[in-house]
Amino acid sequence: MTLSLDSQAIVLLCSQIGLLSKSEFSPLTLREWNPLTRKLITASMRPGDLIGLTPQEIESQLAIGTKESERYFQLLQRSGMVAIELERLASLGIQLLTRADPEYPARYRERLRESSPAMLFYAGEKALLGQPGIAVVGSRHLDEAGQACAEFVGNSCGLSGLVLYSGGAKGVDTISMNAALTSRGTAVGIVADSLEKAIRSPENREALSRGDLCLATPYSPSAPFSVGTAMGRNKLIYTLADYAIVVASDAEKGGTWAGATEALRSKWIPIFVLDHIDMPEGNKMLIQRGAFQFPHPFVEDRLKLKTWLEEQSAKIKPDTSQLSLF
Amino acid sequence: MNREHTLSLLRQMIGEDKDFRPGQWEAIEAVAIKKQRALVVQRTGWGKSLVYFLATKLLREQGSGPTVLISPLLSLMRNQIEMAGRIGIRAFTINSANKEEWAAIEEALAKDECDLMLISPERLNNEHFLKEVLPHISGRIGLFVVDEAHCISDWGHDFRPDYRRIVRIVQMLPKGVPVLGTTATANDRVVKDVQAQLGPGLTVLRGPLARESLRLQNIRLPSQSERLAWLAENLPKFKSSGIIYCMTIADTERVTGWLKQKGFSAEAYHAGDDGVMDRTALEQAFLNNEIQILVATIALGMGFDKPDVGFVIHFQRPGSVVAYYQQVGRAGRELEKSYGILLSGEEDDDIQNYFIASAFPSTQVFQDVLKALEKSDGLTVPEILSRTNISRSMAEKALKLLEVDGAVGQTFDKKLLFFRTPNNWKPDVDRINRVLDLRKSELTQMQTYVDHRGCLMKFLLEELDDPNPSSCGHCANCQQKGFSASVAPDLLIEADNYLKRTQVFIRPHKQWPVGLFPDQKRNIPLELQNTPGHSLCYYGDAGWGKLVRVGKYEEAHFSDELVIAAFHLMRGFWNPEPFPAWVTSIPSARHPNLVSDFAGRLAKLLGIPFHPVLRRTCKAPEQKTMQNSTMQARNVIGTISIDSYIPPGAVLLVDDIVDSGWTLTMAGYLLKQKGSGPVYPFTLAQAAGRNIG
Repeated sequence: MTLSLDSQAIVLLCSQIGLLSKSEFSPLTLREWNPLTRKLITASMRPGDLIGLTPQEIESQLAIGTKESERYFQLLQRSGMVAIELERLASLGIQLLTRADPEYPARYRERLRESSPAMLFYAGEKALLGQPGIAVVGSRHLDEAGQACAEFVGNSCGLSGLVLYSGGAKGVDTISMNAALTSRGTAVGIVADSLEKAIRSPENREALSRGDLCLATPYSPSAPFSVGTAMGRNKLIYTLADYAIVVASDAEKGGTWAGATEALRSKWIPIFVLDHIDMPEGNKMLIQRGAFQFPHPFVEDRLKLKTWLEEQSAKIKPDTSQLSLF
Repeated sequence: MNREHTLSLLRQMIGEDKDFRPGQWEAIEAVAIKKQRALVVQRTGWGKSLVYFLATKLLREQGSGPTVLISPLLSLMRNQIEMAGRIGIRAFTINSANKEEWAAIEEALAKDECDLMLISPERLNNEHFLKEVLPHISGRIGLFVVDEAHCISDWGHDFRPDYRRIVRIVQMLPKGVPVLGTTATANDRVVKDVQAQLGPGLTVLRGPLARESLRLQNIRLPSQSERLAWLAENLPKFKSSGIIYCMTIADTERVTGWLKQKGFSAEAYHAGDDGVMDRTALEQAFLNNEIQILVATIALGMGFDKPDVGFVIHFQRPGSVVAYYQQVGRAGRELEKSYGILLSGEEDDDIQNYFIASAFPSTQVFQDVLKALEKSDGLTVPEILSRTNISRSMAEKALKLLEVDGAVGQTFDKKLLFFRTPNNWKPDVDRINRVLDLRKSELTQMQTYVDHRGCLMKFLLEELDDPNPSSCGHCANCQQKGFSASVAPDLLIEADNYLKRTQVFIRPHKQWPVGLFPDQKRNIPLELQNTPGHSLCYYGDAGWGKLVRVGKYEEAHFSDELVIAAFHLMRGFWNPEPFPAWVTSIPSARHPNLVSDFAGRLAKLLGIPFHPVLRRTCKAPEQKTMQNSTMQARNVIGTISIDSYIPPGAVLLVDDIVDSGWTLTMAGYLLKQKGSGPVYPFTLAQAAGRNIG
């Protein structure tokens, strides 16, 4: 992989690569990176221009404090190590996209703006990121209706040429993804942990090398699972898709709930929730908060799923989310 | 100013009267001052370590991070570390052999108390190293040194797949990080290739390659006994220490045994014996002149730097001019006069052709390995071997190449696992053929060198694209005199006898191969194991080996000479205690009488009974077609049985050729299960192919 200078600078500043967990200098969070980009623009500089500058030069050119410029300088010095680690990842099939890359998913730029992750590690076909498709989300533990729905949506996506977006985790994610792939479709999984491990399973590997699957993560490819990362990537699933179907959600707790309510508030895309007689409490509450109902079983032709979603979401729904405030 | 300052540092290191050698300052300036990427092509002993030590010092004075030195050598020589210490450079080596020092090294790194770190190319792919060690360099690499940079090029004689990874790292390094490649052996083609791979910004600094002190001579001595005799006769003429290079491990052991018998201070040095040999200790003893002669394979290689090596003798001819120049170049770095003598024998072409044929795994091997991996999410090497019929060394070669190509990854999850990556892969047949063609033409060139009548040094320099090759004036051809090729007849007879009774051990297996009996313990119970045994020779050897071949494949009868030799071994050198009470032999479906006839005659001569108690139950494929332990053992199981009475007492178990040893292990296991005494395996020969290298 060859990285542009700008991408190199972004990795050096924003990734954990080559830093010990207890290192004196921590990488920039998005909240720190965004103001830096504004300063760069003011100084008519690009991120790559920072490489090779002394702390004094960084300080004067960006008009910032000594402490800050020293931190940037130290982070930027890691290039040798970062080169070695990126080479190792590339040999495993893991590549990198940064906000400075033209191939970086446009949907993130448009929908997330400053909240779009500075970097994405990915394996497989990157062109899939942001192609028309449907996101399926839900908790790991599924009832029968949920399983059937996950399989149905995955299968419909596969047959109608839509990308199936999911979190690449166990349960609903795997069911819908496998359904899409076995019907010769394509899928994208935004994983919250251990991309390095995810690419090793024989099923994933085959789909990745065929170019039918892209697994991506904004976190370190060897990151262990944590609730924080699982929550943080939810919006990255929603914002790549055209529609999202929430299969099952707990009420007012858990990652699915947090992600779905965030998506409802942000109005990136229309959100549907599986509606059936035994649906979990969370599903009901999401519908109260303005999500569209997705019937179970779905009686229309499965190839018409997208058209149906389009028609349903065009019907104006009273904004009930305000009510929940009271 | 800079030059003067650097010169004073140099004098602190190696002495007040010393100065830069031509090219040294230019190389230091290129990386430490101009921050360039440079490739230095200079003869061995020119002083490249001085260059990277001084460059490191200058860069550290400017506030740069430590130097990372990638080198295939085992460790820095103690004298080099001392030398660097004189200007305050703290250098460390990290390798798999010094795990106990890692914690201390990591601490030094964390405190920024390490100026130079030597790591092997393999380390660059080690997760622990990348995540726990490297980050301690507080993120900064001040200088990236690639030692033996010709390994980058697959036109080089010594292409190493790990170096492809280094190329990609260098390509990803930002422009500000200086890179220094060093090599002593790079002809124009290799230099161009290195340049193309490391980027067009590479400055090439070339020096003359001639070695003033070296006196070259080539001597043809077809048989091994002639060469052994020649060594015994001529070695006393050298007053200093020296190296004898052999092409196979077995030859280093054999030559060493002979030299010891003749009273020389000699030790074998090779990478065999599963790493039991303490090579670092041998190097150190040789450096301190506690050993006079090191009999080595090419495992004694790059980076080994002993200034007072008085001679380098090749017991067999190497595969290329470049390799030869590099090996002979270890002589006389700081001596007025030194000798480089190439003995060339009848087996040379066979050995080199074997190396060429086994240089790359076949497409089938690659595909079998990938197929095994594709069905899982990670396998250990033994697991791969139990799923394929591939030898361990070939499997490891294939894994290494696949890993560098990105088709296979490794991870450590309690044990080392290999897994298939999603990267697409197909064998680079063109590259492989190109390299093989090159090896063949290098071999031809080397054949030409042996018979060359003109100046030998000039021949080498021309092949290496030295800018100004000229006649050296002191090689055997320029001088028209040198060591005599004739050997004393009595020494020749002695050497001949030595070869004939060179002892070859059969080590009993202690464990079944992984995956053979998945539900059983792997350890073979001690009471059912064989006793260590003996072979008369290596198959195809100059000694008895030839007779064994003739007996097996031409006459279908082993000669009485072999029976007598076996008798002498039994009653003489070996003389096991308790002595066998009876003899039995491994049955063969293909040649039912060949071995049993021999074993019967041997028993008669020894004066003990012969009882053919073992039986073949079915015809298995020839054991030599099985490529790894699991397959070999599996092939034997169930094909041998015992259905008669077992006499009491120790037994001599005879076979013609031992390869993997599983047949002997299985037969011994059965014999002991049925109540025999100790089982002594004996074979006429040991297959040598698996021992080469």
